[in-house]
Amino acid sequence: MSAVTAIEAFAADSGVFAFMNTAWAWPLAESIHYLGLSLLLGSVGIVDARLLGLGTRISIAGLHAVTRWGMFGFAFNVITGIAFFVSAPDQYLYNPAFQLKIACMLLAFANVVVFYGWAWPRAHGASEVPVAAKVCAAISLGAWMGVISFGRLITFYRPPEHWCFWCG
Amino acid sequence: MEYFAWFENTALSLWVRESPPVFPALLIAHVLGMGVIVGVNVLLAWRVSRRELQPGEIATFVPLVWLAFTASLISGALLLAAYPAKALTNPVFYLKLALIALGFALFGALRRRPRVAHWPLASAAALLLVWFAAITTGRLLAYTNTVLLASHLF
Repeated sequence: MSAVTAIEAFAADSGVFAFMNTAWAWPLAESIHYLGLSLLLGSVGIVDARLLGLGTRISIAGLHAVTRWGMFGFAFNVITGIAFFVSAPDQYLYNPAFQLKIACMLLAFANVVVFYGWAWPRAHGASEVPVAAKVCAAISLGAWMGVISFGRLITFYRPPEHWCFWCG
Repeated sequence: MEYFAWFENTALSLWVRESPPVFPALLIAHVLGMGVIVGVNVLLAWRVSRRELQPGEIATFVPLVWLAFTASLISGALLLAAYPAKALTNPVFYLKLALIALGFALFGALRRRPRVAHWPLASAAALLLVWFAAITTGRLLAYTNTVLLASHLF
């Protein structure tokens, strides 16, 4: 059984497919997905902007606290994103925009690990934001804007176009 | 409707609708603009809800909001130029514009006068709710239109 049929079977058995195809579930999930990305930009994106020198009237620690809401936003987007994906797996798996979106997300995750493991502890107590933290902030902003941009492009690639970086 | 049909055949409308990279590029500008505007509102809602908002602290982010608003306005106007009848015949579109205006009014009131927020949680929730409603009405435009192109009606 191919990955696509396995995922389709899961979506059918779990009822996710039926729910997502009710009258308003898909647009409502999209709206929640957009609110989630706004929560992420309003927390992670704002901290990145602050590290890069914008909005210095608020302490970095004071701004960083809002990433708690960013976590909620990200959780909304993982849940709604999985609901989209399992309800039409062929529309995503073979979609170059989706593949690039996932690549940007992986870059953002790796950057989070480097940031909290290495750059963030060194930013505490320093009078100037260290260069390493600024580089992480720039990568984070670029990666998340890439995630949003490629996400918006997903709808422009639909089967039977079916071309992707591993389709050949 | 005749006016929409005429407009849809202007060079501007055709350019946005039929030059392949233009339309997706405008959608990207529109969603990034939305994310930045609502993102700064999320920050304001957070600070208000925690009673931590200091006068003027959001002001440093206001130029960024204006930049994002300009990007959203221009991209939105061009998207409207591509499909004028689709949006202008849909009541949801006017509701979206009203919600955006309400969102900006709340943004201005709360960031300038933190003491307006006697009920910090309710104020923050109202701000987030208005923006979520604006996002939702925007997303619904793709699902609730009765006309796509007026020129197809003739």
